[in-house]
Amino acid sequence: MSNDQELTGAEIVLEALKDQEVDTIFGYPGGAVLPIYDALFGQNFLKHVLVRQEGGAVHAAEGYARSSGKVGVLLVTSGPGVTNVVTGLTDALMDSIPLVCFSGQVPSHLIGTDAFQECDTTGITRPCTKHNYLVKDVNKLPEIIHEAFEIARSGRPGPVLIDIPKDVQFAKSVYKKKSEVTFKSHRIKSGSKNIDRDFIENLINHIKKSHKPIFYVGGGCLNSGPSASHELMKLVQLTNIPITTTLHGLGCYPAEDKNSLGMLGMHGTYEANLSMNQCDLMVNIGARFDDRVTGRLDAFSPDSIKFHFDIDKSSINKNVKVDYHTNTDITISLKAINEYIESNQVEFDTNQYSTWWSQINEWRDKNCLHYEQIDETIKPQHAISRLYELTNQKDTFVTTEVGQHQMWAAQYYKFAKPNRWITSGGLGTMGFGMPAAIGAQMANPDALVIDIAGEASFLMNIQEIATAVQYKLPIKIFILNNEYMGMVRQWQELLHGSRYSESYVDALPDFKKLAESFNAVGVRAKKLSELDDAINEMVSVDRPVIADIWVDKKENCFPMIPSGAAHSEMLLSKYDKENPENQEKGKVLV
Amino acid sequence: MSTSSVYPTPINTFKQSKRSVLSVIVDNEPGILARIVGLFSGRGYNIEALNVTVVDIKNNLSRITIETLGEEKVIEQIIAQLEKLVPVHSATNLANLKESYEAEICLVKIEFENDDQDHKILSFADIYRTRTVQKRQNLVVYEISGTSERINKFLDDLNTISGIKVEKVRSGPIGLGI
Repeated sequence: MSNDQELTGAEIVLEALKDQEVDTIFGYPGGAVLPIYDALFGQNFLKHVLVRQEGGAVHAAEGYARSSGKVGVLLVTSGPGVTNVVTGLTDALMDSIPLVCFSGQVPSHLIGTDAFQECDTTGITRPCTKHNYLVKDVNKLPEIIHEAFEIARSGRPGPVLIDIPKDVQFAKSVYKKKSEVTFKSHRIKSGSKNIDRDFIENLINHIKKSHKPIFYVGGGCLNSGPSASHELMKLVQLTNIPITTTLHGLGCYPAEDKNSLGMLGMHGTYEANLSMNQCDLMVNIGARFDDRVTGRLDAFSPDSIKFHFDIDKSSINKNVKVDYHTNTDITISLKAINEYIESNQVEFDTNQYSTWWSQINEWRDKNCLHYEQIDETIKPQHAISRLYELTNQKDTFVTTEVGQHQMWAAQYYKFAKPNRWITSGGLGTMGFGMPAAIGAQMANPDALVIDIAGEASFLMNIQEIATAVQYKLPIKIFILNNEYMGMVRQWQELLHGSRYSESYVDALPDFKKLAESFNAVGVRAKKLSELDDAINEMVSVDRPVIADIWVDKKENCFPMIPSGAAHSEMLLSKYDKENPENQEKGKVLV
Repeated sequence: MSTSSVYPTPINTFKQSKRSVLSVIVDNEPGILARIVGLFSGRGYNIEALNVTVVDIKNNLSRITIETLGEEKVIEQIIAQLEKLVPVHSATNLANLKESYEAEICLVKIEFENDDQDHKILSFADIYRTRTVQKRQNLVVYEISGTSERINKFLDDLNTISGIKVEKVRSGPIGLGI
């Protein structure tokens, strides 16, 4: 296109998306975005996925982003369109997921008049985005869009919103290419790319001195890209240090590897939490000392020297004081460490940690994830174990909703690669999993995508089955149906005297018939003998499937560190009794 | 911060609070003040005083000065959070600089009834070297500038005069590092 040809604001949006190599956009039309929808009509570089509610669009974009490493993009209208995405934007901010959300706004001259479907979009979304814009001048639109993408994916990634009044979508200006825009570094905040020599030398010296070291790895490792995992693997193998990951770190390191202690935190493994409690050297790579991980702060790993890799400076010393930190990108840092070890021929004594490993193996022998599948009633843990066994030969992506099923999925589904596990961690958004599966399937058309769900969460965004059916996305919704909001029920049992206030999910639909009414496929397993057949049928059908798996209604998720307790005070089973003093303190926490 | 709970308890936060003056350079664009104020209210930080003005028209920069209360760890966290905001160039705790200067300006309107009060007011005005903005019978308006502490003292001294009516407006502190 010649440089001085004028485009409308709506055409500029499309041109910029093309320039940013966006191939998929999730959205829902409405009055204030009709010019952009008009520009979408008849073009073929961009696939638009029509969701059934805007909340579905934002979670789908999150699923797309997490599973592909690219920026997720969505398009919604003004007023209710954009207020519906507030939850998802907050979710993406908490979990550092790069998104760009375009929203329509009433025409400029009507802003502030309480016009139809008007709301203060930038005001409402300011605290739940990394940055947002109200575009008042079409001439600034190209630069704003390119800057928005750059901000979304740079440094600690996050959601960015661009609010475009309808008149700006009609107004004309000259398009400016991405390559013609110079970004101001103070606005992009891309994090340091410099190798932090002192940090690296200190780390290696401490690793050599340490007797009880541990790697504690989080979602930051994932956001740094797949080569971060590759470098991490190298480093773990060179040093033979045990590694535990957070909920979001799952997949950064192969779960089945001998050095992996599994997930840590509230529902983490016994060996991971006790190792964290008793280590003398903690190397935190891209995790943020979240309260679900640390438990009671004054008892959190009291005797360790702490190293922290985090691109976000505000994560350093926020909850836990660390001894050494770096804000350099994790891939760059890990690569530099491995190169340092190689070029300086640093030797690690493989026996140095043998006492530590035998201690860890003793903890492992507790077999904290043990469960008893006694009779025909399906144990939820068993359902996930079987699902893993029957699907781990395929390239499988797992999304989840929020609750007990999410924790069981984290415990029993063993991830070998990064970006295969997509869950709502920070915000804990029920209803996240199914739209996220739609996004993951859009990004990975040939992969097997499973939403491990609970019946209560699933009902929160159930309308999106229609989206999966419309676009022939063969996502699998694997419901662990216990007729309860299981995690709420568990807390009521442990902390509120088994008074199950409003946690029973009454009047459930028949999920099999429900699937059929949407032209999806329904399968069901009521008892153990039906479980494998149900899973196999679910996986083999090339259409969206809802699998209704009836599981033990009373099962609780263990191990568990109750809120306000220390790592060393974890409950391993329902027979473990909690310290009553902690129970009272824990009750007031979340 | 309290270490006996997962969350800080407010009582302890106040105990170790100290006053800090933060100087923030930002792009002068719509919504920037809302971003900063929203950050403080959303994360439970205090704003004791706030001053915002464009300082560089050519580069479109504003300087925001915020007086806040909090323990050192909280102030560090506030600075880190401020620096994450896209339009923020830098955020500095003036107390961390080797050399920095602070000033505040205050306008005071004093209504009085008799000569005795007038004399006392005049003597304080003299001690504190205020500038007279307006003087009429039974009313005087002074301008005083300097550190916030100095202005506090002047206002405290005025308070010792009984029967006068004092109305004041303060800019909040501004500061500059060298």
